[in-house]
Amino acid sequence: MIELRELTKRYGDKTAVHDLTLTVEPGKITGFLGPNGAGKSTTMRMILGLDRPTSGTALIDGRPYAAFPHPLREVGALLDAKALHPGRSARAHLVALARSNGIPTARVDEALETVGLAAVARRRAGTFSLGMGQRLGIAGALLGDPRVLLFDEPVNGLDPDGVLWVRRLMRTLAAEGRTVFVSSHLMSEMELTADRLVVIGKGRLIADAPVAEVIARSSRNAVRLRSPRADLLPPHLPDADIRRTGPDTLTISGVPIERLGMLCHELGVPVLELSPQAASLEEAYMELTGGSVEYGVRGKADAR
Amino acid sequence: MTSRPRDGGLPGAVAAEWTKLWSLRSTWWTLAGAFALCGLMTSILATDTVHDNTNELTQDDPGVLVTSDLVVAAIDIVQFVVLGLAILTITGEYATGSIRTTLQAVPPRGRVLAAKAAVVTAVVFPLGVLLGLTGTAVASVLMGEWGRTTLAQTLGDSLAIGAYLALISVFMLGVGALLRSTAATLTLSFLLLMALPMLLTNAGVPLVRHVGDALPSAAGRYFMNGEDSPYAPAAGLAILVAWAVAATVAARTSMRRRDA
Ligand SMILES: Nc1ncnc2c1ncn2[C@@H]1O[C@H](COP(=O)(O)OP(=O)(O)O)[C@@H](O)[C@H]1O
Ligand SMILES: [Mg+2]
Repeated sequence: MIELRELTKRYGDKTAVHDLTLTVEPGKITGFLGPNGAGKSTTMRMILGLDRPTSGTALIDGRPYAAFPHPLREVGALLDAKALHPGRSARAHLVALARSNGIPTARVDEALETVGLAAVARRRAGTFSLGMGQRLGIAGALLGDPRVLLFDEPVNGLDPDGVLWVRRLMRTLAAEGRTVFVSSHLMSEMELTADRLVVIGKGRLIADAPVAEVIARSSRNAVRLRSPRADLLPPHLPDADIRRTGPDTLTISGVPIERLGMLCHELGVPVLELSPQAASLEEAYMELTGGSVEYGVRGKADAR
Repeated sequence: MTSRPRDGGLPGAVAAEWTKLWSLRSTWWTLAGAFALCGLMTSILATDTVHDNTNELTQDDPGVLVTSDLVVAAIDIVQFVVLGLAILTITGEYATGSIRTTLQAVPPRGRVLAAKAAVVTAVVFPLGVLLGLTGTAVASVLMGEWGRTTLAQTLGDSLAIGAYLALISVFMLGVGALLRSTAATLTLSFLLLMALPMLLTNAGVPLVRHVGDALPSAAGRYFMNGEDSPYAPAAGLAILVAWAVAATVAARTSMRRRDA
């Protein structure tokens, strides 16, 4: 279990993470979602004791990371696949990690086997592709058979096979009762993997809920109305977000479908279709983070 | 150190640093380079001595010299190759970002530094002794009758070279952890070990000269080569140890405070 309490990190006068409080529970995959620059990597570095929080605490199973005598046996993490010496072989890199934490070197070969790098174990890591580097980073995370795992954008640079493999791996790890905390800036990725979502934008918590709930809460849960006299409705719905999606079709959000039905009845509007449109997770995400895009060209991003 | 440590801790951290050092080709190149440069420098100094003793001019004759003293003089230059090795164990990790992996595996900053210092010492001390012995062998062959070689003197000087190189390496390791940049640390080592001593020890003001005498390079020279020094060799050794400890403690404080 990972617990963050009022975690804040400032770099100079730039606040990267602001007052983040959340709990990442074991036995499921918690997706950590936010646009680029939202503060995901910074949060993970603070959990691992690499960056010092400006204030607040990050605890793993009730202890700060640095308090573990053999941290790699408790917490496995892939932060940056490039964070290794390019001149060292994949195997030597892992052997050094294993030795530092009293992990049998036999585990190194197992981990290399698991991530499919056994054949290139003696090649220098600098010659690896981005995807192979990611796999090596994952091997390092799995080395100590830890109960808590953190992955920062693990599918970056992986081919489709690799992406599937990572998803399956995370599923297996969570099913074994481990805590899996995985970040991504892509909702589409999380939609397929995560059980729970933590969404942040500009360092602030935006949502922390099961995936289904995040979708359900979205105001993009719209209603589609098809009627030859659809134009009669908008004047009666000042608060709704109404888009024309066809010659006689409106997509209306922010109004319950029951009220629309009654309204049509009252106005005598003939209804050809009145149907709920579930928002995609992607849409829910866009809506949640629309105002907090750090480096974006999206119109909604506030100009500060 | 090749056996499997069952329990991590400092022994585990040392084993990891040992593995990391020897799994880089640059380590082997550096060692070869140190021997090559030491051989070259002692050869130049030895043939110069022979030349000065045998040319027409008599006023430049150095006479018969202790061969291992030539090697001590050569270390002035050779030390930078050895320092490169020590400095890269820390700045190389900052440059590649692998310091984060290191600190993930061994969170206590002091333990990481202690492990690196232990490995640097374990490699550089024997390296220095071997450089002293091989350098003396080369010099004694080239100097012939102009060189005086006794076993006791050679062993003593070689051990002193090993101790000096080990301590100055640990000192620069600490400086590397403070500065985090290979280029900056190497530049500073040139300034501190070459330029500054030359400026200060030739200064007229006594106070400035005393400061110059307390620099690690001056302390090292007085420690290795006791002649016309302001203090005993043992004091030189103590000053070197003090510099190494101070740099390591400062590095630990800095690593604890700053983000990785
Ligand atoms: N070491 C640092 N120094 C200064 N600013 C930083 C540093 N690391 C991250 N930041 C800033 O903090 C914010 C969050 O960055 P990051 O955690 O990398 O976001 P994410 O991983 O969500 O893309 C960004 O604005 C980034 O520029
Ligand atoms: Mg990131």
